[in-house]
Amino acid sequence: MRGLVKRYGEREALCGLDLLVPRGSFFGLLGPNGAGKTTTIGVLTTLVQPTAGTARLFGWDVQADRGLVRAAVGVVFQEASLDPELTAREQLDLYARLYHIEARRSRVEEILALVGLGADADRPTRQFSGGMKRRLEIGRGLLHRPRVLFLDEPTLGLDVAARARIWEHLRALHAAGDTTIFLTTHSMEEADALCEQLAIVDGGRVVAAGAPDALKAALGGDVVRIALERPDSARERLARVEGVREVAQEPGTAFRVTVQDGPRRLAGLIECVRSCGVLEVTLHRPSLEHVFLHHTGARFEARDA
Amino acid sequence: MSALVADTLTLLRRELIRYRRDRAYWIGQIVFPLAIVGFIGFGLDAVVALPSGTRYVEHLATGVLALLVGSGAVGGGFSLIEDRESGFLRALLIAPVSRTSIVLGKLVARMLASLVLVGVLVGILAAFTPVRIAHAGALVLAVGGITAIFVGMGVALAARLRRLESFRLIAALVTVPLYLFSGIFYPLSTLPAPTRWISYANPLTYGADLLRYGLLDVHEIGVATSCGMLIVLTAAAVGLAITAFDRGMRT
Repeated sequence: MRGLVKRYGEREALCGLDLLVPRGSFFGLLGPNGAGKTTTIGVLTTLVQPTAGTARLFGWDVQADRGLVRAAVGVVFQEASLDPELTAREQLDLYARLYHIEARRSRVEEILALVGLGADADRPTRQFSGGMKRRLEIGRGLLHRPRVLFLDEPTLGLDVAARARIWEHLRALHAAGDTTIFLTTHSMEEADALCEQLAIVDGGRVVAAGAPDALKAALGGDVVRIALERPDSARERLARVEGVREVAQEPGTAFRVTVQDGPRRLAGLIECVRSCGVLEVTLHRPSLEHVFLHHTGARFEARDA
Repeated sequence: MSALVADTLTLLRRELIRYRRDRAYWIGQIVFPLAIVGFIGFGLDAVVALPSGTRYVEHLATGVLALLVGSGAVGGGFSLIEDRESGFLRALLIAPVSRTSIVLGKLVARMLASLVLVGVLVGILAAFTPVRIAHAGALVLAVGGITAIFVGMGVALAARLRRLESFRLIAALVTVPLYLFSGIFYPLSTLPAPTRWISYANPLTYGADLLRYGLLDVHEIGVATSCGMLIVLTAAAVGLAITAFDRGMRT
């Protein structure tokens, strides 16, 4: 994707988005609500026409080669996209026909078994729970063995058990073959648990990209929070400890120390401020949440204000 | 081309499954016209004499069938908005299916449902009115033509509107005048001249007259004229629906 722009009237949903997704990877697009994640999927799946910029999928242009792109992608939308009156089996059969799949019947049964809906295959989907619907949608997305599976917030609104089950399906799918998986989420936990490669988007732009561990490491290390009785000259003393990159004082008498290799430096840090009366020490290893807030936090607050 | 036909048949199958399951639809569509014919038709039959010598109840019964087919067919647009609201349409749009197939699937399904409905109602009406199938070909063309014209209008409207409420309102605004000025309730010859000219500009007039010819062997407009008009209008309506749908789905 190069320089994608999508305008809806005055509002710019995407303003010059550049993104490269390696073939066969498990890719996550992470961002706050309204960052442009769904619009990006819309463009890549031919549903949304970009105002400017180009997007290519396996070398095909998503606008000029719509037919080829549509046959190669599977999509699981954020909101339901099932016919409530049709049964699970009928829906899959319908799409198996539309995608002109050979050995239709056996493929439909295979998918029903894969997503664990064999027993409920003949019930109309309006009777399904949220988790069952999502599983059926994933099944439909996989039916025609797409080269890329797009999932837009696949576990939004599901309970913990349903979410774990979907994660399991996705991991198995990725392990099984060379399907590229592209998912959007605003859950750090999900991105961390599943994705090999991440891009963080905010305000219609990519603000950071890379493997989760690399993104975490780029933040500069662990954070040790130390609360003291008397701050005195603690700030200077902490800054002199080996591996410490930054010392920031919180309102009050607590310090946030950014340090490499936190667990090993912890004893040294406590030792050097012992005379100040240590009240509390906590060690934070960097999580994706820190990465996320680091890149999008300021904008978040500005928007809420 | 063969993919277009195959995909249309696949989508037609889906629509037919839905019609078959929709019991409320069938009960409503069968009870409503029988109630109109029973209460209004027979009631007015005693006091109204038509110039042609046709009994009023026969005139109204065939007119109500035309009305029913037309109003049901506008529902083709309604079902498109339903598909959009359920999200089903989105999944369909990213499948490698032409927009034309989606429209044609809805259209042909509605034609078949209309023919079945008219068949059932004619069977029931035949028991207590002189309504019977006089010209099967004319009947099929009339039902198919009215369906196509109203599905076309419904789809063209639905492609532009997002909300069910707006669709209902605007569809009623467009279609009610068509029902009133079509000779459904009174023969054209009993209407004052200006009103009659409005009726000649109304597609439903030709469908209703041909339907009457198919069931009662009477007509006010030349059969060839009605057939010709319906064929031309059907083609125009299908074209309009496909273009409007294709345009409406681009975002």
